[in-house]
Amino acid sequence: MSEKGETILEAKEIFKAFSGVPVLQGVHFDVRKGEVHALMGENGAGKSTLIKIITGVYSKDRGSIFWEGKEVEINSYKDCQRLGIACIYQELSVIPPLTVAQNVYLGREPKKGGLIDYKKMNEMTAELIARYDFPLKPETIVANLGIGQRQLIEILKGLSCNSRLLIMDEPTASLSGKEAESLFSIINTLRKNGVSIIYISHRLEEVYRLADRLTVLRDGKNAAVLDQADIQPLRVIELMIGKTVDESAGSSKQMRVSKNEVRLDVRGLTDETGRFRDISFTAHKGEILGFGGLIGAGRTELVRAIYGIDKFKSGEVYLDGKKLNPSPKRSIKAGFGFVPEDRRQQGFIPLLSIEKNVALTNYDIVKRNGAAISDASELAMCKEAIKKIDIRPADPEKAVGLLSGGNQQKVVLGKWLMRDLKVLIIDEPTAGIDVGAKNEIYELLESLAKQGVTVLLVSSDLQELIRVSHRILVMRKGSIVKEFDKETVTQAMVLAAAQGLEESKEAAS
Amino acid sequence: MKKKIQWGKFSKPMILVAFVIILTILRPDSFPTLGNISNVLWSVSVYGIMVCGTIFVFLVGGIDLSIGSLCGLSAVVIVKTIHAFGDTEGGVAAGIMAALLVGALAGVIHGFVITKFKVPAFLVTFATSSIFLGLSMVLTNNKIISCLGPDLFTAIGMMKILGFPIPIYVMLIIAIVSWFVLRKTPFGRYMYAIGGNPAAARLSGINDTGLTFLAYIFSGISTALGGIVLASMTQQCMASTGSGYETEVITAAVIGGVSLLGGEGTVPGAIFGAVIIGLLNNGLNLMSVPSTEHGLVKGIVIIAAVAFDALQHQDQAKKGFSFFSFGKSKKTA
Repeated sequence: MSEKGETILEAKEIFKAFSGVPVLQGVHFDVRKGEVHALMGENGAGKSTLIKIITGVYSKDRGSIFWEGKEVEINSYKDCQRLGIACIYQELSVIPPLTVAQNVYLGREPKKGGLIDYKKMNEMTAELIARYDFPLKPETIVANLGIGQRQLIEILKGLSCNSRLLIMDEPTASLSGKEAESLFSIINTLRKNGVSIIYISHRLEEVYRLADRLTVLRDGKNAAVLDQADIQPLRVIELMIGKTVDESAGSSKQMRVSKNEVRLDVRGLTDETGRFRDISFTAHKGEILGFGGLIGAGRTELVRAIYGIDKFKSGEVYLDGKKLNPSPKRSIKAGFGFVPEDRRQQGFIPLLSIEKNVALTNYDIVKRNGAAISDASELAMCKEAIKKIDIRPADPEKAVGLLSGGNQQKVVLGKWLMRDLKVLIIDEPTAGIDVGAKNEIYELLESLAKQGVTVLLVSSDLQELIRVSHRILVMRKGSIVKEFDKETVTQAMVLAAAQGLEESKEAAS
Repeated sequence: MKKKIQWGKFSKPMILVAFVIILTILRPDSFPTLGNISNVLWSVSVYGIMVCGTIFVFLVGGIDLSIGSLCGLSAVVIVKTIHAFGDTEGGVAAGIMAALLVGALAGVIHGFVITKFKVPAFLVTFATSSIFLGLSMVLTNNKIISCLGPDLFTAIGMMKILGFPIPIYVMLIIAIVSWFVLRKTPFGRYMYAIGGNPAAARLSGINDTGLTFLAYIFSGISTALGGIVLASMTQQCMASTGSGYETEVITAAVIGGVSLLGGEGTVPGAIFGAVIIGLLNNGLNLMSVPSTEHGLVKGIVIIAAVAFDALQHQDQAKKGFSFFSFGKSKKTA
């Protein structure tokens, strides 16, 4: 590797707390010229808070930031752009009907006599593209490009403002393998040209491959800063999780549920586009079956297909020995409940009251007066749900859009509790929910299991996954790669399997 | 806070009462008479009838711009059918059936194109509006066709029961039916769910495309009913009979608190909106405002109503929630 460059950005002793809860506690982070510096850590370790402080979204409580040796105050994204830092967001902000060049120079178009000088704009873009060897043409309409190429336009945009530090947050999350390869080669070219990159990723193999250095954060503190030679996957996992892993995770009070009868039997389920392949598993009565894996491993797609929202190409789903032809309507009738990953977008009807949201899937059991819904029966159902899971405020008339995240999730969950459930599918149940509500939801899932409900739990929160699940299946790149029992599993084991480390070990031996 | 919400609930009736009081004070002789009130309601009834079906489309987040010309086409269809049957009472029955069928068919076409080809409702109904108008032109040769009998036909628009003409009763009945369906049946609740969050509705096992389809059929049928009543009231038809009614209906809905983004609105609200427009027209006439200026005043009132509505929603946004941001973009978070 090229000799170590001078430090371009340095963040020293950064402290940040949100309403009294410390998120960053004296974090140190520095980036050198022309290096790819990876940033890793579990959910909640403080990565995104640190990045938001560097890009001026949040203000720090204490600490200082140096840019090329001089102390700077970054109070807005504009400040950070002025210094030469660009952030490549996961949600792309390109405008599809415009050309590549028009997007790159949006708002900064070169002008001639008051009009946009398209010729010059295209030339400037072509020059940038040539310098860094991007697989793009200035005059292509963006609408015709794939997501990977659109991301490259964002990078070009950053480079066109002479940015010397690019921040990439999970850049490969929505890319195909080929697109990711293309991105990696661009990253290498950028590095050779002296551009520095902060690379945030959950995927160890990428970090292992790309990073010159790696900073691991844990609980808002530096767990380690590793040079390339010291980046060893298992060591990194240890650092991310910490030595203080609760090894008693699999407490012995667990009942053995796998002795119960099989409730759900999935055989050879395969998706049209290969987001999951040949998935087979059984889930028992009263079992909480956890699905671990990295984002994009195909877990959400799998449970959506089992419930019947998305079609699958081949394979079968059996409930209590009966073959299903899944569609949401039929699945609900058969005894399924589904709590989606994205609560706001898919979970509830924001304008409707708690009462009407709870009743939405339950009009087959709400009483009728002739053709009319019995308002009293509907209200009684809502009150029962409010009482059962402590929704606050306990006002049936309140629009669900006005509730807190945790209470919204309780409403989404509550509507299923009013039915005779056999299988509850729940995807990232506690994302964006406060600790108190989290625990209530865990207790609820446990009590449902005791009543014999089978729970399929998808979670990227390892602690949650291990705490709640009786058994864990780990998915990687669309396949189930590992199965763990609650008694023996640790966070490190799940993470290693999700990263594919077990596989490579076996392949090596 | 609680008090304010209560007030918000009654704000519509209060506006109505205020309107009545103001007009009573300004025109004590001509406004508060049974004849005049009956007249206002009579003039409101056609788009009052129409909005009771079109509200389903608004609720699922769609729009139907074709209702004006479809209203005209239905009027043409009933009049032509009656003439074809030699102005008999059987012809009236056949005409009503034919007009309703045309309305339902229009809804089927809309529903099919919108749900199967995912074309924006705005474009589809804009185009069919032109088709319906064109059809009416062809059928009437672009002439006025009058239809003075039989009595059964003219009775629909003109006959009075207890001092009020029949169209008012028709409006009341269809409003009650529509209210009942929306308020009291799962089907109606699903309409709100689809417009409020289609993805969540789908996950809850609601057949969103099927129900959207039905919403357009309801809109077509209620529009045809409006056309039948209008033809009978005017005892004639021509291609442009219903033109402009789409604006009246949309205005009534919006004033009545129906959200054009979907998921929000009630039948009483929409009827309230229709009555407000009727009172506004009536007031302008009684005050001898030249008809050339009516459009001006109405436009201002609509903007004021919509702005007031948006303002109320903004208050709620300040409490950490915006009605308008949902399902649009999550970037703002």
